[in-house]
Amino acid sequence: MTTSTGPRGAVRSDRVGAVVLFALAVLYGLDASRISYSFSSDPLGPRVFPLILAGVLALLSLIYFFRPGGSEPWPKGRLLASSIAVPGLVLVATILMEPLGFALAVTLLVTGVGRIFGASWRLALISGAVQAALWFVLFRYLLEVYLPGGSVFGF
Amino acid sequence: MKKLVLQAAVFGVAGVLAGAALAAPEKTECLAGAKPGGGFDVTCRLAANSLLAAKLIDKPMPVTYMEGGVGAVAYNHVVGKRSSDPTLITAASTGSALLLAQGKFGQYDENAVRWLGALGADYGVIVVAADSPYKTMKDLVEAYKKAPNDFAIGGGGAVGSQDWMKAAIIAKSADQDPKKIRYVALEGGGAVLTALQGGHIKIGAGEASEMAKHHQAGKVRILGVMAPERLPGDLKDVPTAKEQGFDFDWVVWRGYYLGGKVSDADYQSWVDTFQKLAKSPEFAKEREERGLYPYTVIGADFDKIVKNDVKKFKTLAAEAGL
Amino acid sequence: MDLSYLWTGFSVALSPMNIVIGFVGCFLGTMIGALPAIGPINGIALLLPIAYTMGLPAESTMILLAGIYSGAEYGGRISSILLNVPGDAGAVMTALDGNPLARQGRAGEALMISGLSSFVGGILGVVGLTFFAPLLSGLAVGFGPAEYFVLMIFAFVTLGSMVGSQPVKTLIGCVIGLMLATVGLDATSGAYRFTFDEPELGDGIEFVVLVIGLFSISEAMLMLEHQASGGSVIRIAGRTFARWADIVRCTGATLRGSVIGFVVGVLPGTGASVASAVSYTTEKRISDRDGTFGKGDVRGLAAPEAANNATAAGAFVPMLTLGVPGSGTTAVMLGALMLYNIQPGPQLFAERPELVGGLIASLYIGNVLLLIMNLPLVSLFSRVLTLPNWILVPGILVLSIVGVYSTHASMLSILMMLGIGVVGWLLRKLGFDMAPIILGFVLGRVMEVNLRNALAISGGDLSILFQSSISIVLWIMAAAVAVLPFVLSWRARQVRAAAPQVP
Repeated sequence: MTTSTGPRGAVRSDRVGAVVLFALAVLYGLDASRISYSFSSDPLGPRVFPLILAGVLALLSLIYFFRPGGSEPWPKGRLLASSIAVPGLVLVATILMEPLGFALAVTLLVTGVGRIFGASWRLALISGAVQAALWFVLFRYLLEVYLPGGSVFGF
Repeated sequence: MKKLVLQAAVFGVAGVLAGAALAAPEKTECLAGAKPGGGFDVTCRLAANSLLAAKLIDKPMPVTYMEGGVGAVAYNHVVGKRSSDPTLITAASTGSALLLAQGKFGQYDENAVRWLGALGADYGVIVVAADSPYKTMKDLVEAYKKAPNDFAIGGGGAVGSQDWMKAAIIAKSADQDPKKIRYVALEGGGAVLTALQGGHIKIGAGEASEMAKHHQAGKVRILGVMAPERLPGDLKDVPTAKEQGFDFDWVVWRGYYLGGKVSDADYQSWVDTFQKLAKSPEFAKEREERGLYPYTVIGADFDKIVKNDVKKFKTLAAEAGL
Repeated sequence: MDLSYLWTGFSVALSPMNIVIGFVGCFLGTMIGALPAIGPINGIALLLPIAYTMGLPAESTMILLAGIYSGAEYGGRISSILLNVPGDAGAVMTALDGNPLARQGRAGEALMISGLSSFVGGILGVVGLTFFAPLLSGLAVGFGPAEYFVLMIFAFVTLGSMVGSQPVKTLIGCVIGLMLATVGLDATSGAYRFTFDEPELGDGIEFVVLVIGLFSISEAMLMLEHQASGGSVIRIAGRTFARWADIVRCTGATLRGSVIGFVVGVLPGTGASVASAVSYTTEKRISDRDGTFGKGDVRGLAAPEAANNATAAGAFVPMLTLGVPGSGTTAVMLGALMLYNIQPGPQLFAERPELVGGLIASLYIGNVLLLIMNLPLVSLFSRVLTLPNWILVPGILVLSIVGVYSTHASMLSILMMLGIGVVGWLLRKLGFDMAPIILGFVLGRVMEVNLRNALAISGGDLSILFQSSISIVLWIMAAAVAVLPFVLSWRARQVRAAAPQVP
């Protein structure tokens, strides 16, 4: 497994995280100050609480910046690509679910993710087909959850 | 176990992306702009169940859910995507007219759909705790006038909601500025009840059907119903606001609309169906089971009422400074 | 005391359908607990939308989820003992003495002792819940907006000072959750906040989308890196029946663990991980005279297991009476109630006795079922540990999609689930815990709305937050919890300074 190691790398990612959180606090605060409303029955109104939150997050991210620690090393190369491919495959399967139908989209997802997790093509395909059939029968017929049949093959 | 089919918007969206159509539509459909169990669901089920019971439709009418913005998402969906679909009715209520008046339904106004009819109603009520010293609306308004800051008013909605409007009406009748009410926005009628019992608020705004059982159980006292006439059932001894000299009523009708591009013929056929439905004994039973009071207005009359409501709410909102 | 709600509850929980549902919940829960990849929050997040879409009534769904919750607290010990990898957060301490026992060839005994102490902890916790919940719900009418706001302060202070080795990250997690909760229609002024003119965001971020994204998607991504470092499962060999002497020896530890677990569970915001840590360290201080803790002492195994099961019951106390979750898992269950349009709070006890009673009764039944499942059938559950990730992870992902699809079917929900999942993954890599985000999300609305309602009642006068005796007690408790870690570390330093140097 290839990972960036060493406490120095960890401190750096903590610092980057703190900066991003600080930026989030600023953006959130700016958007909060622009909330439009005619009037509120309470003295605070809809802006104050978010502004307080923005302030607290800004403060906490400063503390985090100066007292970093506890982050894990990041994956690199293939491992990183595979990590990102997991939600990517979920997205692709969701988009294909309507035209291809639940069963085929799930076969694709299970096979793809199975490959990422180290199964051989053969095992991944078998797992894909078996899981697709199992989940489809379970949801459609036992649990009666609506799932798209797919329009390409005219189910 | 009851089968609950959620025909989903995502399939529609994904389908459009892929250039494919939805599965074959049922003959009729009712769209509820809320979760299962919410007010719009009750409205849809009233139509679906009673139409089937009265044998005015052959196949069950499925209820679909599209939550968001108290009906705003459903409204935009109907106007934008299914405007000419004659099989679809969508649940609406006084709250929809209120949101339309406040421009909270997005770019479309009340003329973008065809208002079909209302099949039942609920009415606003003013409640106080069971041990409150106030027995009539008059007592309450007099006391409120003297020390408005001692009276926190609670309701199940935000500023601009129906319950807030009721609170604003009370404030106005006591010559107070609605903007200065000490209004507490709570999560629904149950929370209003608890807050009254705990003494955290002194006046509650709510709806008759929900508060009637608590009134009957002696947990709260309803001082007045905001209806043109006394309500039947548990509340028959509670005077209306009008009887007590206050000219305000608050009708919460529960009705339906069709897409704006539905043809006159299709609209008329729905109107005829609803009129037949309203006369059937099955319908009366279904309506009662859902805790709604009789209120049947169909077709052009309903259209007039909705548009009047929107106009009235615009004035109210302007007066209240919304 | 009026326990009629409990009898109503038993008649609900003992209906044939609910017994089956409870059994399914306990079974799935034990499996979910045993699998290191998924914990109770994750399991509930995946099954909740399906139960809801199937049209199960609210009380049946709660029985299912409660079964999963208690089952997971039982099941977590299996992988702690056999694999030295905690099956869920509450079972971290179980590995300390459980795994050494297994290495000594006493895996069967370790599983039986921990199963028994789980049962004692679970049952004592439910008894506590039965009597404590109506008491607290009687108090609940006194909770107005001001008191709720102070209760939230107390909850966040408890969370910040007790959970996690890095309080800053816990607090940042809470604030992120609070921020996510502000998206959507403002309940007081009716203004739209942070919706970017997207009508679907008008009602805020959907709970199921958030929980599945944070827990399932990010977990699937993380597992890829962790899978290389998997250990080997110890086979159950030797005697499977614990020695009577051992059982007697850990009676005290089990009882103390149960009490600690229940109390920690009742505290808002803290869950099984805190409870088992507190009970283990307490037990070590009280009983570890020969330094056997950490080397396979049965008492070090019994205490945290009793504690994490008692916590599960204790966490229901504030959830059912005040509408405030006692742990991350009950936070998700609270979200489940809201899915059913049921507003948790003091009126829940009075208005839905069949729901509250049914849930509590199902915990009694569930613990008995779990004891039966977890003693003779434990080797069956240990098989689950050999399930390869290339089967398990795609399965979790399929459940995630179906879950979000079936409840909030829109492309935006799926995109949000994935976006939240990736952000959750980034945060977890930075060492953030996900539970504070969920707690912040669930408590955030309650906190803001009640603060503003309190000030609406008082006309802006802050003194309303300090008026009632309930508020004052809560402020004092919050202050005590806030200073407690400092006092403890100061005392530890004093003791260390005073103690003679031990070679």
